[in-house]
Amino acid sequence: MTSIMNGFLISGAALVSAAVMAIATPAMAQDATFVLAARDVGAPTYNIIKATRLNGATTLLFDRLVIQDVDQSFHGQLATSWDSTPDGMSWTFKLRRGVKFHNGENFDATTIVWWLPKFKGTENAFMTEAIERVDVIDSHTVKLVMKSPDPNMLFNLASVFMGVPAPKAYDELGDKFGVAGAVGSGPFKLESFTVGQQTILVRNDDYAWASDLSKNQGPAKIKRLTMREIAEDSTAFLELKTGGVDMLLNVPTDFLPRLKAEKDMQVVTLPGIEVFYMPMNTTVEPFTDIKVRAAAAHAINQKEIMANLFGGLGAVANNFLIDSLLESKVDPKFNIGYDPDKARKLLDEAGWSVGAGGIRAKAGKPLQVKLWTQNGTEFKRVTEVVQAQLRAVGITADITVFDASTINAQYRKKTEHQLAVRVYSWANADILDWFFAGTRLGYPNVSMWNDPKAEELNHKAMKLSRTWDERVANFKSYHEYILSQYAFAPIYQPVQNFAYSNKRLAVPEKIRGARVQSQSILDIEVRK
Amino acid sequence: MFSFAIRRLLLLIPVFLVVSMIIFMIIHLVPGDPIDNIVQIGSSPEQIAQLSAKYGLDRPLLTQYAIWFRRLLAGDLGDAIILRQPVTSLIAQNLPHSLALGGLALIFSTMVGIGAGALAAIFRESALDRAVMTLILAGSTVPSFWLGLLMILIFAVQLGWFPVSGARSWQALVLPVMTVGLGGVALVARVTRVAMIDIARKDFVLMLHAKGLSRARIQLAHVLRHALVPVVTILSLRIGWILGGAVTIEFVFARPGLGSLLITSLNQRDYPVVQGCLLMLAIAVMLGTLLGDLVQAAMDPRVRDSVA
Amino acid sequence: MRLSGPWRKVLRSPRGGSAALGLAIVVFCAVFAPWIAPYAYDIQNLPGANRAPSIAHWLGTDEFGRDLLSRIIHGARTSLTVGVASISASVLGGMALGAAAGYFGGAFDRAVTAIVDLTWSFPEILIALILIAIIGPGLQSTMIAISIGYLAQFTRLTRAQIMALKGETYVEATINLGAGSFHVMFRHLLPNALPPVIVAGMLATGDAIILEATLGFFGLGAQPPTPSWGAMMSSGTAQIFIAPWTIIFPGVAIAATVIAINLFGDAVIDALDIRGRLRES
Repeated sequence: MTSIMNGFLISGAALVSAAVMAIATPAMAQDATFVLAARDVGAPTYNIIKATRLNGATTLLFDRLVIQDVDQSFHGQLATSWDSTPDGMSWTFKLRRGVKFHNGENFDATTIVWWLPKFKGTENAFMTEAIERVDVIDSHTVKLVMKSPDPNMLFNLASVFMGVPAPKAYDELGDKFGVAGAVGSGPFKLESFTVGQQTILVRNDDYAWASDLSKNQGPAKIKRLTMREIAEDSTAFLELKTGGVDMLLNVPTDFLPRLKAEKDMQVVTLPGIEVFYMPMNTTVEPFTDIKVRAAAAHAINQKEIMANLFGGLGAVANNFLIDSLLESKVDPKFNIGYDPDKARKLLDEAGWSVGAGGIRAKAGKPLQVKLWTQNGTEFKRVTEVVQAQLRAVGITADITVFDASTINAQYRKKTEHQLAVRVYSWANADILDWFFAGTRLGYPNVSMWNDPKAEELNHKAMKLSRTWDERVANFKSYHEYILSQYAFAPIYQPVQNFAYSNKRLAVPEKIRGARVQSQSILDIEVRK
Repeated sequence: MFSFAIRRLLLLIPVFLVVSMIIFMIIHLVPGDPIDNIVQIGSSPEQIAQLSAKYGLDRPLLTQYAIWFRRLLAGDLGDAIILRQPVTSLIAQNLPHSLALGGLALIFSTMVGIGAGALAAIFRESALDRAVMTLILAGSTVPSFWLGLLMILIFAVQLGWFPVSGARSWQALVLPVMTVGLGGVALVARVTRVAMIDIARKDFVLMLHAKGLSRARIQLAHVLRHALVPVVTILSLRIGWILGGAVTIEFVFARPGLGSLLITSLNQRDYPVVQGCLLMLAIAVMLGTLLGDLVQAAMDPRVRDSVA
Repeated sequence: MRLSGPWRKVLRSPRGGSAALGLAIVVFCAVFAPWIAPYAYDIQNLPGANRAPSIAHWLGTDEFGRDLLSRIIHGARTSLTVGVASISASVLGGMALGAAAGYFGGAFDRAVTAIVDLTWSFPEILIALILIAIIGPGLQSTMIAISIGYLAQFTRLTRAQIMALKGETYVEATINLGAGSFHVMFRHLLPNALPPVIVAGMLATGDAIILEATLGFFGLGAQPPTPSWGAMMSSGTAQIFIAPWTIIFPGVAIAATVIAINLFGDAVIDALDIRGRLRES
């Protein structure tokens, strides 16, 4: 009988040891592990053409035609030079020679001819909508003939969403592209991708077409790069502190002082390109009433949130765009700020009178609304504070936290969501079109806003602007109108902080581009 | 013995049918259209029609179940909605981690639990007995995630002996295994202690004393051996813990595994994955019960002869 | 009020007495929370966030500046309500199923036993998670999930009790005298099956409180701003360095409550001498 027990234990141990062996992987020099921003956790795919949400590893897999630097200038990557006619009706791009995709395919004019029409019918179609057709001038020169001038063309081409995938691989893999494989021409190839967990990248040894934003013009210095997704801020911080990972692509403000105090850690701050805001569903009671929307918007104490939840870093948001954009400089009377007295007055005017416990009611119905947000320490915190601030003016909000990868699907269902706390990351005014166009109800237009005058202003800004200045003016008008209708409440503009271990990594002094992307990662070296 | 095993195995079949039926019903129990629970929101009508046909959603429930079950036997658990991989490959990726964690934790619980329980039983009613059992009680009343966090703080952060999270080295297993293992120690210790005290009262033990064997020899060689029967029974019935009870710990330590897969897919409303995970767990639990029964039968002839 | 024998025994023993005192404190907090808590549990005070314990705030403040002591006192309400309500429902359901299965036997008994055997070996946390996934998060869902999670345990226990008692001579005699099933069940079997089940229920309440905390840790239990010990620890993990008390104190509260319940239950088991009857098969 004892032998049976022994046998049981021994075979059990053998089974388990075998399983353990299969898992243990020794770490090697030239390998690095980065942690993606908590906001990037759960991005479901690297399908560069169809995805509406891409994480920070995307630019490592796919190159873009051009890259934008912090000073707004554009630098060629897959394109070496470009030119447009004065009327903006055609663009000519000279393409870089010698570029090969990870699967050996060549990059040339035919790639562009294949690529641009692929956006039709996808959510990202608006980026190439103004293009009528692509003419091949020679094997490495293309001419984009436009339907209408698009002063934003270069910005779109420089966006993460316009990385170029390998045509044959894209067509072959179909729906599985971006999950089972993601073939581009970037400095890294995809080894494996586990949604919500990690992406393992291996160096593309043939890489020789970096932009001039990178000092290193050859293959990356890092041989194997693991991009991990960690939703809990404290876990990510602990991993960095104990050497489990080498860099955090976004550091939650809670841990900044600690990291700054550590001798081996380096913290770098980049200007922010994000905005926290609260869209309001304009099609569901009580937010069909503009007074109630305005009251909710003015109930939010942006300064308090910035000072206490984010350590006073960053800036308050008083409208929808980041401060560095010209289109954010609207007429001050449109900016939305904290004004609880005004909020209370508006609610009184709207017929919601204060009842027991400070909660307002109208015709027996209490002012109780839903407040949605996604998983993640910062989201949950901001949402709980917003809940308390709404309560202070008499609105009760019930919080529901959704998983990051399904919350957008929930909005798409359009089932009476009311308020939400969201963040977007974009450095261009066309984000107004993305989130408020009448053609995108549910998600991204969480406000479910469909206003004829807004659509007119939108059309003018997106399609009828011929020059950059015209575009700025048109978008400002569109922006002001959206603000006047209280389709959302602005909250906060974070800065970007990333931190890395000085002992393990050598990182270039100046980060080129708006975020830490391939152009900078090419220059990062693992110290021996 | 053989016929007993066959009998027990056959009994599993109706149980498995019932369980699979319940798991199958999940997408129909969740509020909303079942098709929404299989397909990505915003899919084209062709894709929806295709999946509808594949799962037979327009047919009567029983037919749907038959289709699903037949697929199941062929090893096709469908495709994950969000992750777009076959459910079977997702499970294959995660299962080894759970097995490692759970298996080692089980061994840990067993050894520490039997040790503690035996110690308490041998010195029963003494201060040592009370101290051990109180310590065990305290350990089992602490929520496992709290224990996990404390472990991380002390051993990973302050002392730096082990990694904080992930599953990239064998060292990353130590803290999670201890956390899960300590949770199971109480049960094993209690059962061991009670069983040993019970058996020590029996006549055959008295006879061993009369024969002149030393107390230590009696306790360890004879009493403990017989006490193992209820312990093994309890353990094998707790095999469900191997695969799923470590869910919280997988989450706290950011480890991949069947538990995290289940929680993530539950949060994401990815029901094909949920169903796949539940099925795996059900199978593991049933196999565990079977194993426990077989072991018990092997050790105790009386069980063999009783009607299964 | 004279306490009968077993209860005197429980309260006299050092274990039982101190556990009873601990439990009394927790229950008192839960019942009288709004009156004894020094602050309201939902008023935020952001500038005063993450303060260490002080005269003004005995246990410090949390990330939103709310008084931790008040939140822990109110949290007792959440935990006890969920624990007691869920387990009571579970006990009632389990007793009904188990008694019917044990008494009537046959196919019904076999069916019940098979299903119960399976769910009993499933970790309760998983059953709870699945149920919550279907019905959605929140306090009510947690209670439903926990009651169903523990159903198997009480069904098994009651069934074992009923089957054991069924064989007693006096029961056989009663049946021979012509008593109907109803009479036998409610007059003889159930009352005698009650003590072990009640005590098991008490011990399960401790587990249920931990389960509620775990679900709260996952964010699936009581939604903010309602305080729940588990959810408090969950948000506390983000402050693990700045404000470790936000994790430590709720954890201590849970541990103390559950230890008190377990010790008290243990003392009652010893006093009533029913340890043998707690075996489930």
